[in-house]
Amino acid sequence: MALFFQRLVDGMSYGSVYALIALGLVIVYRGTGHLNFAQGEMALFSAYCVYQFGEWGIPIWPAMFLGMGVGFLLGSATEVTLIRPISKRSPFAVFIVTLGLFTFLNWLDGAIWGNQQLPNSGVGSKQLKYPSLFPNDPQDQWLPFGVSIRYERVGILVLVLVLTGLLFLLFNKTKFGLSMRAVASNAESAKLTGIRTNRVLMMSWGLAAAIGALGGVVQAGLNGNVNLGLMFTVFIYGSAAATLGGFDSPGGAVIGGLMIGVIENLASGYLPEWVGQEMKLGVAFVVILAVLLVKPSGLFGTAKVERV
Amino acid sequence: MTFLKATGLSAGYGPITVLQQIDVEVQEGEFVVMLGANGAGKTTTMRAISGLIPRQGRVEFGGVDITKASPDAIVRAGIAQVPQGRGTFPELSVEDNLHTGAFVRSGADSVRDDIARWLDVFPRLAERRHQRAGSLSGGEQQMLAIARALMSRPKLLLCDEPSLGLAPLITQELFAVLEGLHRDEGLSVLLVEQNANLAMHIASRVYLLETGRIVASGSAEELSADDSIRKAYLGF
Repeated sequence: MALFFQRLVDGMSYGSVYALIALGLVIVYRGTGHLNFAQGEMALFSAYCVYQFGEWGIPIWPAMFLGMGVGFLLGSATEVTLIRPISKRSPFAVFIVTLGLFTFLNWLDGAIWGNQQLPNSGVGSKQLKYPSLFPNDPQDQWLPFGVSIRYERVGILVLVLVLTGLLFLLFNKTKFGLSMRAVASNAESAKLTGIRTNRVLMMSWGLAAAIGALGGVVQAGLNGNVNLGLMFTVFIYGSAAATLGGFDSPGGAVIGGLMIGVIENLASGYLPEWVGQEMKLGVAFVVILAVLLVKPSGLFGTAKVERV
Repeated sequence: MTFLKATGLSAGYGPITVLQQIDVEVQEGEFVVMLGANGAGKTTTMRAISGLIPRQGRVEFGGVDITKASPDAIVRAGIAQVPQGRGTFPELSVEDNLHTGAFVRSGADSVRDDIARWLDVFPRLAERRHQRAGSLSGGEQQMLAIARALMSRPKLLLCDEPSLGLAPLITQELFAVLEGLHRDEGLSVLLVEQNANLAMHIASRVYLLETGRIVASGSAEELSADDSIRKAYLGF
């Protein structure tokens, strides 16, 4: 039972990262109907920036907020300069552009920071490991019933839940949230009510990338380093989480992310021979497939209600 | 005073020009009706005035040139549109839909008062204020779309075929509300319709639109007095 609890907490902390990536995907999808393939790589760029801030001696929390700021700028600039002009021509072109951005950002990270994992004493990094937002030395854990509950894991989970709560308030209780929901629901009518839809879309992309940036920083912290391949599988899990939760539901994205983290961790933990580290992704996808067969719009996605 | 003045207004979609240099005016306090068949360019006119599609020519509102203004700036200037096919936000509640209408305004108290007022005018919306707009009937959605447009306290209300797909009784009810606002509060309205019969009764002035051109204009009496126009366009 105690081991189960440990795996549950561990799964949820990994799931938190998927949830953050999924949240970014959902925010963009709701606003513009596009799937941002570069979501993970945008997060990676911010994660590299946070490493760099650390090298300059900036403590991790302010560095994280700076990294989220970088993410916000990157996301909003992408919307204004690439997505907006191209989506007027063809939605398929947007798909290609986000794929292109995916490879470009990965190349850019490599060009700036090299292809070794960082921090790395070989390139003279001052930091010993990628900074963590929460205490994560070996002794930073509770040991109830002989299992290990690490402070870092619990801290990440709490952070994501708090962020989800804040996002819920933003979406449902603020004028900006209402305008985001209105644009997502019917962009043309949103214009007719005087909403500056362009600004809303720009802010949505920025917000999505900022949340993703947090995901990248957390993932790098859990991983102990940042490297060019860090976000590949995370992005796949994140898209799966968004699909599982229902692509238009932020709450669903978070729950989907946590569920996938827990499922993969329980499966690989309890069935090490059958599933292990290699097949845990497969287990998560079988579960998603099963859910989508029963509930095609995802767990919390809205099936379109329309009276005609 | 001339409120809305569009001169040589042309607009279309991509390479296709739908509106061919039409001149449309609405005086302050007027109820102007534009009649035309399917495909005559009625909706295009509305979309061009609201700035949703690229337009040529010149559009003035209250003496200010708004030809190049963005849709949100046009709403801020005081022109609200009730789009064709309701255009409500189906995922949002009735109340949230009304809140979006007040986006261009400030002052939470007066917004709440206005919401209460329109829920009073449309009691069926009051019963459903927490329901999602997508679950309302066509008539209720049209009421919501009108109420939402009025939430911005417009100087000029554009209505794009409010009768479309509605039962005659509901249509009459909606027109009665619009007529009341026009009569009692001097709201200026530009309304496009296929339903000549209903609209002619309220109109201070009528435009007849055919294939992107205005083929006749005048008071309702003048147009119905003209036999050829009556037979060809008005159907009575």
